[in-house]
Amino acid sequence: MASVFGQYDGANFYDELVGKDGEPRPHARLIADFLSGLTPDEVVDRQHAVDSTIMDMGISFTIYSEGDNIDRAWPLDLIPRIMTGSEWDRVERGLVQRVMALNLFIDDLYNDRRILRDKVVPAELIDSSRNYLEACRGIRPKHGVWAHICGSDLVRDGDGTIYVLEDNLRVPSGVSYMLENRNVIKRVFPSMFRNYRIRPVSEYPSALSAMLSSIAPDSPNAKPEVVVLTPGVFNSAYFEHSYLARTMGAELVEGSDLVVGDDDSVYMRTIDGLTRVDTIYRRIDDTFIDPEAFRPDSMLGVPGIMRAWRAGNVALANAPGSGVADDKVVYSYVPEIIEYYMGEDPIIPNVPTWRCSDPKHLDHVIENIADLVVKPANESGGYGMLVGPHASRREHRKFRELLKADPRNYIAQPTLSLSTAPTLCGDRLEPRHLDLRPFILQGDRITVTAGGLTRVAMRKGSLVVNSSQGGGSKDTWVVEGDL
Amino acid sequence: MLSRAAERVYWLGRYIERAENTARIVQQYSQLLLDLPEEVGVEWQDLVAIFGADDNVEAASAGARERTILNFLLADPLSSSSLAHSIRMARDNIRNSRDLLPQEAWENANELHQYAKAHLSSASQGRNRFEILSDCIGRCQQINGILIGTMSHASPFHFLSLGQNIERADMTSRIIDVAAAYLQQNEALVMRYGSTLWTNVLKSVSGFQMYRQYCQPEVEGMAVIDFLVNDTAFPRAIGACIERARANAGALPHGDAVRGSLDELLAFLPSTLATELAGAEVSRLMDKLQVELAGVHQVVVGTWFPPA
Repeated sequence: MASVFGQYDGANFYDELVGKDGEPRPHARLIADFLSGLTPDEVVDRQHAVDSTIMDMGISFTIYSEGDNIDRAWPLDLIPRIMTGSEWDRVERGLVQRVMALNLFIDDLYNDRRILRDKVVPAELIDSSRNYLEACRGIRPKHGVWAHICGSDLVRDGDGTIYVLEDNLRVPSGVSYMLENRNVIKRVFPSMFRNYRIRPVSEYPSALSAMLSSIAPDSPNAKPEVVVLTPGVFNSAYFEHSYLARTMGAELVEGSDLVVGDDDSVYMRTIDGLTRVDTIYRRIDDTFIDPEAFRPDSMLGVPGIMRAWRAGNVALANAPGSGVADDKVVYSYVPEIIEYYMGEDPIIPNVPTWRCSDPKHLDHVIENIADLVVKPANESGGYGMLVGPHASRREHRKFRELLKADPRNYIAQPTLSLSTAPTLCGDRLEPRHLDLRPFILQGDRITVTAGGLTRVAMRKGSLVVNSSQGGGSKDTWVVEGDL
Repeated sequence: MLSRAAERVYWLGRYIERAENTARIVQQYSQLLLDLPEEVGVEWQDLVAIFGADDNVEAASAGARERTILNFLLADPLSSSSLAHSIRMARDNIRNSRDLLPQEAWENANELHQYAKAHLSSASQGRNRFEILSDCIGRCQQINGILIGTMSHASPFHFLSLGQNIERADMTSRIIDVAAAYLQQNEALVMRYGSTLWTNVLKSVSGFQMYRQYCQPEVEGMAVIDFLVNDTAFPRAIGACIERARANAGALPHGDAVRGSLDELLAFLPSTLATELAGAEVSRLMDKLQVELAGVHQVVVGTWFPPA
């Protein structure tokens, strides 16, 4: 038995690499054998090689502390998370189905509103959503696609079922780390890349560039001028903005680099004067994008850009207003949305969700609050959430009152037992919980990354995978063949 | 090319050049102090003046003053004259221009920044100063080598080179300026130690060998100044810097105004220097040159980096 795997105890949860019997799963045998040939010191040395490669390559993320921004080296665990190609194929089909349905849904909401008239989704839910933008009514973006870049968070429960936990349809981030994780791990485990047939992820920048070109409007430019719009160097995801611009060969622009002309077209300021822009991959939130249309105090956006978009003179990815479909209450309707537009059952299930607006659901939630996770509909980032099993009785009482007072603003879900994977902690492997964020691109066609960004909660027992709160990451391998 | 991106690359050129020259000047100055007797009156305080900072350093002892001044010039992150500051700014400008520059330049600039953070304060205290500054110079040259050796000769390259040459001309004029200050002092001492002084000046711009090969074997004040001001073949001479900046401006769109201002500057350089030129005159000439270079900078800003 592998020495470094020998002491590994992953029996309490579903482990991605090790079965209940303590033996490596078939797709993990090669790496388990490889690691068993190394002493613990050699394994730690390789982790150091990973860390120093990341430092040298300047792979960083930015956190804020007392008004200062600090670059932190990106945390990457040596041990990859491995999935089989056959399992991934099914997940991929599920993601394609889901994103296509969500785009049909958004397009319908801002145009015909059939799904609301048919009472599949309640109209008042949409009209009261903070992410619904009236300014987008009647717009028909090219190919009918609104959310061009989607990052859906997947989790695996104790019985091995993969669920979609949430859809990120506004400005999902993390794809650059997925790409860099692969570059680093290739340097550290070259032999594994010969022994496994690992699906590549490196074509993402070309796929993104092709997608962004496919949504460009007709313009005088011979070839579409695509730019990446960033809030600037102080944004926590600036590394990614710059990375994507560089790997696509696109200009990285800030709001002040762009100007909307009298012809309602967007131009960028260059050393040779003004140049027409066709597609803007914007990494700025909806309401900051145009001080003329939304927040007059926004310094990040471009005055008049909504005018240019409505006139069809520029494409915005993602389209403003796409966020209406990643609201937490709307999430609970996604299975119905898929059925309504695609005439199919969802391939990847949602996490079962109780909507407190439904009196029967509300009764269930109030009765079982100690076992549930309760989330407010319109908040993100874990704000205002109750994790039943970890909360006190007093908090349970408080939330029961909150739910009764404003049931429409809450949903509840069972507490999932997230899967784990062996993670190097000190000089030994320990199970740590993880999730997975694949990236889906839709323009004239739809593509999905092979795997995605695996995020790991580095603290024992923790479910918090966020890098700003001590979360780490893993390279994600989708491997081919019979293993 | 975006105007804002052009501005960053231009400043990258300036800061990387300023960093390298700061390390060179401090290193050679340390040598000079060892070579010259006290009565020549070479002072660490004069080094502060080279960088255009007038802060008078008050300190109890000469040793404390040296440490305070060197900390100000090397390690102090709050001093805009410090080597640490230039390295930080060069690194930030590369970081924010990564889409235009070779990846290796970023990796090396990042390493240089880490190195500077780890070592510059001990260099200002005197420990291993020579080695640390040599490392900084070498690393700056490495970054320059990567940029010059791998960038296509298109707009980003020309902005980089334009910034570099304007900064380099400015730094060379400051180096001459400081040496000229000694010409104004005790004539007998200048006679005796002049050659040591000017050899140091040449070495601080790595120009000693080129001067001997292409100018004359004897190191002598006016000839050194003439070489560093007018030579168009030695890359760190002011004349050569201006010629190259002129070529860069000519390769950029709408570069006529900048080229014109560089032409005026070339015309302003004295074609031959009087052999008995007094130190005070050299000083005035260098001050005027720095003002003219600042004028060229303003034309660059007005042409390509207009505010939004």
